[in-house]
Amino acid sequence: MTPPRLLAAVLAGKAAGTASRLVGQGGGTTLPGLVASRIEPRTLALLAERLTAGSVLITGTNGKTTTSRLIASLLQGLPARVVANRAGANLVTGHTSAVLAGAGLTGRFRADWGVFEVDEATLPSAVAELKPRAVVVGNLFRDQLDRYGELEMLALTIERGLEALPEGATAVLNADDPRTAEIGYRLGERRGRLKILWYGLDDPAVAISELPHAADARTCPRCGSRLDFRQVYVGHDGDYTCPTGDFGRPERDLSATSVQLDGLDGVRFTVGGVQVGAALGGLYNAYNLLGAFATGTALGLKPGYMVERLGEVPAAFGRQERFLHQGRRFTLMLAKNPAGFNEILREAERLGGGRHFLLGLNDRIADGRDVSWIWDVDFELLGGDCAAETLIATGVRAYDLALRLKYAGLKATVEVDLNRALDRLLEAVPAGAEGFILCTYTAMLDVRALLVRRGSLRPYWRT
Amino acid sequence: MSASGQRLTIGWLYSDLMNIYGDRGNIQTLVQRARWRGVEVRVLELGKGASEGIEAVDVFFFGGGQDKEQELVYDDLLETKAIRLANAMQRGAAFLAVCGGYQLLGHYYQTAQGERLPGIGLLDVRTVAGGQRCIGDVVIESDPGLGLQPRTLVGFENHSGRTYLGEGVRPLGRVRRGNGNNGEDGSEGAVSGNIFGTYLHGSLLPKNPHLTDLILSRALNRELDPLDDSLELAAHNWIKDRELSGSRRA
Ligand SMILES: [Zn+2]
Repeated sequence: MTPPRLLAAVLAGKAAGTASRLVGQGGGTTLPGLVASRIEPRTLALLAERLTAGSVLITGTNGKTTTSRLIASLLQGLPARVVANRAGANLVTGHTSAVLAGAGLTGRFRADWGVFEVDEATLPSAVAELKPRAVVVGNLFRDQLDRYGELEMLALTIERGLEALPEGATAVLNADDPRTAEIGYRLGERRGRLKILWYGLDDPAVAISELPHAADARTCPRCGSRLDFRQVYVGHDGDYTCPTGDFGRPERDLSATSVQLDGLDGVRFTVGGVQVGAALGGLYNAYNLLGAFATGTALGLKPGYMVERLGEVPAAFGRQERFLHQGRRFTLMLAKNPAGFNEILREAERLGGGRHFLLGLNDRIADGRDVSWIWDVDFELLGGDCAAETLIATGVRAYDLALRLKYAGLKATVEVDLNRALDRLLEAVPAGAEGFILCTYTAMLDVRALLVRRGSLRPYWRT
Repeated sequence: MSASGQRLTIGWLYSDLMNIYGDRGNIQTLVQRARWRGVEVRVLELGKGASEGIEAVDVFFFGGGQDKEQELVYDDLLETKAIRLANAMQRGAAFLAVCGGYQLLGHYYQTAQGERLPGIGLLDVRTVAGGQRCIGDVVIESDPGLGLQPRTLVGFENHSGRTYLGEGVRPLGRVRRGNGNNGEDGSEGAVSGNIFGTYLHGSLLPKNPHLTDLILSRALNRELDPLDDSLELAAHNWIKDRELSGSRRA
């Protein structure tokens, strides 16, 4: 029996979702949750209690959406009915909207699993409402500081969230990230009943030789000494140890070896005796894939099944998408902070073919209002092996971006208007060549909407 | 030896720990704008325990850090740097200190518990821990005594400390948009001789080429040839116009 207020909330929320899809407001990713929560503030918790199997939360700065999508796919294939928050709508109203999508018009629930990506700062409230069976913490890079305060505060917030996990739940932690590792160490010391599953990469062949400038957690979280890195994989994630001997990378329960990168087309590695691969390019996606595999392991899924299922997953919306336009290939990628940006630039450099770029920078709340971080991105890479021929700066802060490129010794065309900027890129890429579009969050949504209107991409609420 | 035969040494204080909010952009701007004038530039990173070469530094940059990192440099600043930095000030070296670095150049920082952590006192300013963080874009009208053209400076602030100026300094400017030093008296930053302190990052120097050149000319002790700053000023004006017209979108 559904309580009347919950039923009213569900109905109003679902109506709002239908309406927003009809007027083309972008898939109703947060509006239904907002509407329902105003009628019944506990909509999310009440519906989450009705999930037959439970829920999984994914947090960390970069890679949440891809990891969530991989985990959702693992669970769907069991088979099971999964509700998930899609399209990067990862504030609490987004979770409510996602759960609403799984509710029938009588408020009866028709889902087994909830898979939710959660902003680091809202993890404690998400844990309290959803009582998850597993939480994955990927990495903690400097991101959107003006929204949430500072990295150390964020680490404490995550720690508080994990501390409140129900009995028997597993914290799935990236051992290669010093800040995530410290969270796990502290939890392990204080709480016996929480299970921790550590994962990490172990393949020096794919490491980079030195820390990029954007590597912000290079100091020991205990004593502040500069950490020694034996290997660096992505940003500040790698194999590290403190010279004073008080801190180092945790032992991995699941370690990925023999990593093979196939440009932007795929990545594979060996873990726990099986070879896992997916059509997701870039070393950063090795972490997402491994995080999903580790979560599946924590939930008791069989390795052989996961290998098969992960091999069939398409790239997540927005983070990385390909499209064809008049015989030319384009790749659209979300680049929202220095660590993410540097990885994508390095990937483009590794491909050797990345010579045509459209870079979009907005400073709306969801992008982070402070654009200082672009000075920590190694745009100098574009002048190296990439030898960028086309560089177009667009978005609200296009001039800041062009100025950053000027001080990197590069010349960019400024076109604040996204539509015209897109035209310029499409014209600039010669037949047979490839164009890259790297954008912050809201610029990405805008570019995507334009591409949908031009018929190059599908609307994301149908993907 | 470069064409002009001149050298510039930039001393970057705690480049590893006090490097948040794109402070690297300030260094890059100093470096490039000096090189474009044919000056040979060297960047000396002055981390914990390092003091070698401080005597040769022409301009110091001291950025902001997270609270924890600020604590980590604190003892080292007082023990191995303070006296050498005071000597550098005496001989006319230029300083640019942003946010946390600005606070540490003052007399003290008073914590929420009332404890006073002494700074190195190169600037006559005092900072008191505040409640709500001041976060957002800032536009200021620079102090007329600096003779900057255009008059405005733009940046982004993110601080909870409230800084109050003493008799021995002039403000860097008056706030037209944002909070500035303390959100009360309309002042932003502090200047005394060749020492510049401010809460503005963003990064500060790239979009304020006139301020960069003022600091460089003080450090090099000479006039500088003008450069083509059309892109710098386009970025400056874009944010200035938006903030002063209040047309920002969420
Ligand atoms: Zn240590």
